[in-house]
Amino acid sequence: MTIDFSVLFQKVLEHLGFTLVSVSIGFVLGVTLGILLTRAPKLSKYILPVLSVLNTIPGVVFVGLLFLSLGMRPATVLIALSIYAMFPILKNTFTGLTSVDAQYLEAARGCGMDHFQRLMMVELPLAMPTIIGGLRMSTVYTVSWAVLAAMIGQGGLGDFIYQGVSSNNNALILQGAIPAALLALVLGALVDALQRHVVPKGLRKGRDEA
Amino acid sequence: MLQFEHVSLSYGGQKILNDLNFEIQEGQFAVFIGPSGCGKTTTLKMVNRLIQPDSGHIYLSGKDIAAVDRYELRRHIGYVIQQIGLFPNMTVAQNICVVPRLLKYPKEKYESLVRELLAMVDMPYEKYAHKYPSELSGGQQQRIGILRALAASPPVVLMDEPFSALDPMTRRSLQLEMKNLQQKLNKTIIFVTHDMEEALDLADVIIFMNKGNIVQMAAPEEMLANPATEQVREFLGKHQSGPAPADLTAADFMRTGIVTVNQNRGIHECVSRMQHHNVDTLLVVDENKCYQGTVSIADIRLTGHVVKSIGPLVRDNTPTVMAGDNAKDCFDLLISSGSPYLVVLYEDRTVAGIITKTSMASAMAEQLWG
Repeated sequence: MTIDFSVLFQKVLEHLGFTLVSVSIGFVLGVTLGILLTRAPKLSKYILPVLSVLNTIPGVVFVGLLFLSLGMRPATVLIALSIYAMFPILKNTFTGLTSVDAQYLEAARGCGMDHFQRLMMVELPLAMPTIIGGLRMSTVYTVSWAVLAAMIGQGGLGDFIYQGVSSNNNALILQGAIPAALLALVLGALVDALQRHVVPKGLRKGRDEA
Repeated sequence: MLQFEHVSLSYGGQKILNDLNFEIQEGQFAVFIGPSGCGKTTTLKMVNRLIQPDSGHIYLSGKDIAAVDRYELRRHIGYVIQQIGLFPNMTVAQNICVVPRLLKYPKEKYESLVRELLAMVDMPYEKYAHKYPSELSGGQQQRIGILRALAASPPVVLMDEPFSALDPMTRRSLQLEMKNLQQKLNKTIIFVTHDMEEALDLADVIIFMNKGNIVQMAAPEEMLANPATEQVREFLGKHQSGPAPADLTAADFMRTGIVTVNQNRGIHECVSRMQHHNVDTLLVVDENKCYQGTVSIADIRLTGHVVKSIGPLVRDNTPTVMAGDNAKDCFDLLISSGSPYLVVLYEDRTVAGIITKTSMASAMAEQLWG
């Protein structure tokens, strides 16, 4: 069989688009909610378990449910993917912030930083390695979940896979699966590069020594 | 400078601080000490409003701190903690400049400020300013911790057991540096420790706390001389020496139980006594036990065959002192006379003991090292 590269390229772009947009939204949501939850430790005791339960609902079910209420639109896919992309980032933001050593918080308070300054100058920089770790997980997962877009006719590499499965065409399945896997690898590597860039130098050195 | 007025704090029905009243003068090095849980750290943290009292007022430079914005207040009070807490994501220079940044100092001032501060602790700017805390030793980290507290020139610096996590050598040198810095910069220091030696070395005034109360507030010398309670005395422990060196008398360090012999006794008895006690000289006394002089084995060997009793052989060229004489005078006499020992006498001229160079050395050692 011959591969139509222009179609392939278009599907890769669609897939990439879904992934990038939903990971970006998920990142903003996840970091924001993660920060808010650390400010409400009592609330977080109830919310975090609920979120992990939600996290286990299969993506197929969730996209299906959203489809019922929102219809066959790209927004349906983006909302579903963004919410899934948010989970690992939220969890890691929360973990990263709550595991900042008390001595730094005490020093920050003693220096006269207000809540926002503490967050920006101390807590977020120190939690950054963990947060970016969450972003990496989220990105790789979202590449695979974006296959679900094809389920409600919104394109992406999932098109090849669904067509391949329904027509029992393994080559077509691979034509969707292999680029998706490569996409996950490339995006993962990009996040790793970002990790090196945004993690404070002082923390990297400390980790190398450990 | 810093004044506590009826400050109390309870936590869960338990009194943590009980009606504290004290005042610390400007430029004083005030050290809080006491058993753990006595409230010393709590008291310290009230000064920069990390902990709020239930009742009472705290005045800093005449202003009630409850009326000052707490972030603004903390930026004008230095704070050094035991865990050091340098921000690992910032360089040495950035750590030092944290408070100036919060106070919005012009950026151009940062470099000269960092240079000036690093010079105070002998850490060259070129070598250290752009290092990260993880690249420094514990002692260097705490030096930077102190500089961070001093960077915005606060009049008051709070120090919560700042040196207790350091090894003894490093601790010692940081204590000395801190004392010098404090005197040079004329800072008021509020310092918490559980180490009495540290308190005695650094403090202008020591505040001893127990169970949320101030047990004693006094200068180190005063506390050593008059500990208020048994507990304070225990804390002072080995640092509390006996009488001051100036008050020592000959009786305090002379050797007692000295072998004497009556001047009428025979040569033979005298020699056997020397053999028995393994000495070469005896102190000679009369019937009333009054000191007469000394007799030495050398004189007995030389002329012992012509006399029956030791009376004629007695020499009185050994210097004598009285038991109540000042110790220092005795030492001076011992050294200037060239005699191997001094004889110490009571008022009635009976023998009290002798002072040798060995007893002098051990007395001095005891004064020095306890």
